[in-house]
Amino acid sequence: MQHRPVKLACRGVWKIYGPDPARLLAGGARPDLATIRASHHVGAVRDATLDVGEGEIFVIMGLSGSGKSTLVRCLSRLVEPTAGEILFDGRDLLKASRAEMIAIRRHKMGMVFQHFALLPHLTVLENVAFPLEVQGVARPTREARAREVIALVGLEGREGHYPRQLSGGQQQRVGIARSLAVEPELWFLDEPFSALDPLIRREMQDEFLRVQRLLKKTIVFITHDFDEAIRLADRIAIMKDGALIQIATPEELVLSPADDYVADFTRHVARAKVVTLGRIMTPGPAAEVAGALPAHARVEAVADRIEGSPLPHAVIDEAGRVIGHVGARAVIDVLIGRRIG
Amino acid sequence: MTTKALLSSAAALALALGLAGPAAAQVESDDPIRLTLHDWTGQLVTTNLMARVLEEAGYTVELVQADYIAQFAGLKTGDLHVAMEMWETTGRQAMDEATATGQVVNFGPTGMEAVEEWWYPSYMKEKCLGLPDWKALNDCAEAFATAETAPKGRYLGAPVTWGGFDEERVEALGLNYEVIHAGTDAALFAELESAYQRQAPILMWVYAPHWSQTKYEGEWIEFPPYEAACYEDPAWGINPNKTHDCAKPRGPIWKVGWAGVANKWPGAAKAIGAFTISNAEMDRMIARIDLDGEQLDAVIADWMAQNEAVWQGWIAK
Amino acid sequence: MRAGEGIAGAVPRAGLRGSGAWQRGAWLWGGIVAASLALAAWVGPVPVPKALTPDMAGWVSAALRWLVERADLGLFSFKELTRAIAAVIEWPYSLVRAALVDGWVEGRGSRARTILQPLSWIAVIAIVAAMGAYARSWRLGAFVGACFLYLAVFGRWESAMVTLASILIAVPIGVAGGLGLSIAAWLWPRFERALAPILDLMQTVPIFAYLVPILFLFGFGPVAALIATVIYAMPPMVRVTTLALKSVPPELGEFATMAGCTTAQRIRKVLLPAALPDLMVGVNQVIMLSLNMVIIASMIGAGGLGFDVLNALRRLDIGAGIEAGLAITALAIALDRLSQAYAARTADVPMSAGASGGWPRRHPWLSTVALVILGTALMGLVLPPVASYPAEAVITTKAFWGDLVKAINIRYFDDLEAIKTAFLTFVMLPVKRFLLALPWPWVLAVAAFAGWRLGGAPLAATGAALGAFVLATGLWEQAMTTVYLCGVAVVIAAFIGIPLGILAAANDTAGRVIGGIIDTLQTLPSFVYLIPVVMLFRVGDFAALIAVVLFALAPAVRYTAHGLRSVPPEMIEAGIVCGCTPRQVLTRIRLPLALPEILLGLNQTIMLALSMLVITALVGTRDLGQEVYIALTRADTGAGVIAGLGVAAIAIIADRLIAAGAAHARARLGLQRGTP
Repeated sequence: MQHRPVKLACRGVWKIYGPDPARLLAGGARPDLATIRASHHVGAVRDATLDVGEGEIFVIMGLSGSGKSTLVRCLSRLVEPTAGEILFDGRDLLKASRAEMIAIRRHKMGMVFQHFALLPHLTVLENVAFPLEVQGVARPTREARAREVIALVGLEGREGHYPRQLSGGQQQRVGIARSLAVEPELWFLDEPFSALDPLIRREMQDEFLRVQRLLKKTIVFITHDFDEAIRLADRIAIMKDGALIQIATPEELVLSPADDYVADFTRHVARAKVVTLGRIMTPGPAAEVAGALPAHARVEAVADRIEGSPLPHAVIDEAGRVIGHVGARAVIDVLIGRRIG
Repeated sequence: MTTKALLSSAAALALALGLAGPAAAQVESDDPIRLTLHDWTGQLVTTNLMARVLEEAGYTVELVQADYIAQFAGLKTGDLHVAMEMWETTGRQAMDEATATGQVVNFGPTGMEAVEEWWYPSYMKEKCLGLPDWKALNDCAEAFATAETAPKGRYLGAPVTWGGFDEERVEALGLNYEVIHAGTDAALFAELESAYQRQAPILMWVYAPHWSQTKYEGEWIEFPPYEAACYEDPAWGINPNKTHDCAKPRGPIWKVGWAGVANKWPGAAKAIGAFTISNAEMDRMIARIDLDGEQLDAVIADWMAQNEAVWQGWIAK
Repeated sequence: MRAGEGIAGAVPRAGLRGSGAWQRGAWLWGGIVAASLALAAWVGPVPVPKALTPDMAGWVSAALRWLVERADLGLFSFKELTRAIAAVIEWPYSLVRAALVDGWVEGRGSRARTILQPLSWIAVIAIVAAMGAYARSWRLGAFVGACFLYLAVFGRWESAMVTLASILIAVPIGVAGGLGLSIAAWLWPRFERALAPILDLMQTVPIFAYLVPILFLFGFGPVAALIATVIYAMPPMVRVTTLALKSVPPELGEFATMAGCTTAQRIRKVLLPAALPDLMVGVNQVIMLSLNMVIIASMIGAGGLGFDVLNALRRLDIGAGIEAGLAITALAIALDRLSQAYAARTADVPMSAGASGGWPRRHPWLSTVALVILGTALMGLVLPPVASYPAEAVITTKAFWGDLVKAINIRYFDDLEAIKTAFLTFVMLPVKRFLLALPWPWVLAVAAFAGWRLGGAPLAATGAALGAFVLATGLWEQAMTTVYLCGVAVVIAAFIGIPLGILAAANDTAGRVIGGIIDTLQTLPSFVYLIPVVMLFRVGDFAALIAVVLFALAPAVRYTAHGLRSVPPEMIEAGIVCGCTPRQVLTRIRLPLALPEILLGLNQTIMLALSMLVITALVGTRDLGQEVYIALTRADTGAGVIAGLGVAAIAIIADRLIAAGAAHARARLGLQRGTP
């Protein structure tokens, strides 16, 4: 996915808590975990570097305490990094003044929170219109816009309700609507579905994908749920002890994990969910094909069709050129977990 | 005046006064003259009476609650203007200190005499023969004793802040008594009320003018009469080595106030200076209020109706 | 109290201690007590060297004199500033007073003309009843209305409205000031650190200590009383608000940032609304404390119900005093229930119905009340009883109370005297003699040692420093008398209060009855029962003790009941499953787990006992309260402030030690302090 233009990048970002974080990093030093701990500091984010492409869903995955929440707060500058650069459209956010940050957040960023962070004293409509209200948008305009996004997340008819009259899923729909009210270019979601029941979570993920297909935002999505990550992500960054261990597509993570830690996560993932046709195809055209399928289609989604056909299917790239073909045998290999590649 | 009219709201009262007042005599300044109120009934009577009279003369008056001693701060700055009762017995020192600055002046006596002395209810005369002479006290110390003070007698003194030199008096006169201080006026008379209900022994500090003089029958202890030398010169009196071997001083109750009153409201200053009332008249009014539960305003209105010539004289030009 | 946080560093160490260490602790403290007894018996009091008692009172007096007479802020003097503040406060106060008591009057003194009558008593009752009904239910409305009706029926209407007027001004100022300070504390942590000790002092220095400077600066009259009330009532608002702002979920703060809120928008639109239910708790506290001040405020010119109480008791009209005192209680309980109902209401915002129609339809409450006000005002012009409650219909129970006290006095005085004498001889006097006989270096050492055991070096330093301050005031004997009186009172309050709390927690009906009694005791001015107490027990320490115990009982009961009720149910279930009898559930599970909460209750009991000190001076004790009172009546500002600070020092030592003890207990039990 490297062809997308970079929307948000971070370069060598550190966030160290403790008595004297600056000293640890003085002179461009890059202390390791043991050094940081020995000096009674905590390395919440260590030397993080990543690029998020425009329109990409970039998922940061890690267990609790891995630093993923701190990293996303560094990216949105809710937390001031100890060192590094955050480039948004090529401009270093860390050099922006307070007033500039307010302007950027008002117009270009949106964020969804784990526990929804809805204002208890405002109705759904007022909550969603709130970011516009603080910008000073006139009431009729902001309420019209709020109604649009409320409709987008399927909450029509609930505009007059207060947050505590809604279920958890509905509350997070309000949170999503609110973060979209200002039409942000960059959308942060901090474990948005973790507080929800599993069934609702699944429904919300579908909802999220539906909304994203319509809006095509640049997204940084935090989760501790690897299944959620591979279901939603274009690319995933795995974090551990404040450092990024591997940044890759779900498929790459599963097929070539960078180390044992990543491999542990991916071991139980059904291959068919992540492996694409492009990965298992035989290059070159076949003599006779039953049809054409895109290279980025995941095996799980097209397995029935390929298996049910006596003939192989052609595999095409995004421009529609045939780049290979795939037959039932290759699909069955993936499904039953025979070694691939 | 009927009770009902008296209980009507302050606004209605102000209205009534407004209508009843004389055709607004010309006064030097419309600014309110502030008189201070303290926490004993007699003072409320004197002050309210003065206030009514000044209002009759056309002045604007404000009554302000203030502490007896702390008020001097306000009298010096002109925040407060008149204090109607400054007792020779308790306020002399503060008054002298204030008048010395030149910012506070003495408006002269109120005509009332302050008495503060050891006092006992009449029924104690049977239990302690020889009273009211102070020399009888030691013989009946037992009769005045309580479990805490026995074998010494118990003398209930005034709040510490009132002074009075009772510890010194006990020592100088060789009295076999312990001085226990009540914290407040109310506590002092609560003990008296309690003892009187039970006809139980009590020996305590009482002052006059006060409603207790009407409600309870009793007498002052007769100590050797006070002279200034008694308090200053140890050689004076029956104890050659100690001061305070005598009774407490008695003396006038003064009116004091801000020095600026005479310039700003000359007529009012004259009226305040002219104000006098006797102990007996005051005792009667206090008793009507505190014992019969009559309203202060009604009692004062009665007095003014019956003594119109008197107070008209105070404000006559 | 907030002090618990300060010594968090000591907690883990405590948590590791086993029961062996506790036994050693018991031996240690037993040894200290034994050593103290020996010292008291054989060494006796050590005089305090003159060099250790500088003339602090003189310095304070001089500083205040400078402040009042000379301090210059450039364009104007400090006194001009305070006088300007007083003038600004005076304005709304006269407005409210006009509406409730005086009416609108043109001209002054004898030339006054009433233009508009004050609100009719019927209108006021209708307003508060409607507020109750709006905030919760018609039942509450009826209850609040009945409380106000009491004021009218017992002939306390005008005084009550004067008091209400000052409450209506003092409370908004206290709330606004509290909000302002805590927002500043939230914005600038350094300010918060500076504020903490000032709040401690505002809560512990007796009001009498700073009454004189306030009179100097703000002038004599109701405004000075209002300012004193605000100073006394504001600290809880600051504490509650600071805590509430901090406990707003951090995500909400992050959301505010991400929405691009400016600092002002963030506070006004996000933090304060989110913290509103907690803030209402603070408002409630301000109301209750303002009402506690009614008596003292009336001493410096606030008038109203407090003046009625003082006036009645000066005449020894006990019945009238009780009636006026109960009027304060009625007012307090009505305002308390109303503000609590509003607090619950803001926590539970109803659905906005989006009603349509004209103004009267959209605001049925306001329009009904407006109608009542207008109607009663017009009717009042022709029907005087509508304008002011008819005097003929006033009822009174004065005679009953007076007779009751008299009957008790005549019949039981000797029995009561015997009880009192026994208690004095066998408990109070030995304790007093013991404490007064202790050499002061030993007392300071024990204070520092206790601080060290419970909270390490910082607390030891605090204990020693504050103890040394008390010594330096030159009022060591009075201070020890204070410790003795409050100490005995607190022990008795605990002996009575904790069982009552257990009973209240065990039985709902008992809980309600006890709650009612406690509420009454806390809001009924102590003066009201002080005078009957003096009649039955004479002036002296015992009468003072009874007054202190009655006043300070409430937190011991409340915190015990609350602590027992908030033991996690699964703990109790675990006990029952193990076969505990109900008694064992109480003694083995609920009481130990409620211990930290009970300790905090005791802490509050001590604070209240100390705050009653000045009142005990009124029945003739010889403690720091008496010193403050004497200083007040002599207008000796410096002496009053220094004695007041002495009380504060004792209070703060007790507070810190007990808070540290409670933190220990929590750590040992592995408990967290309640819900934030």
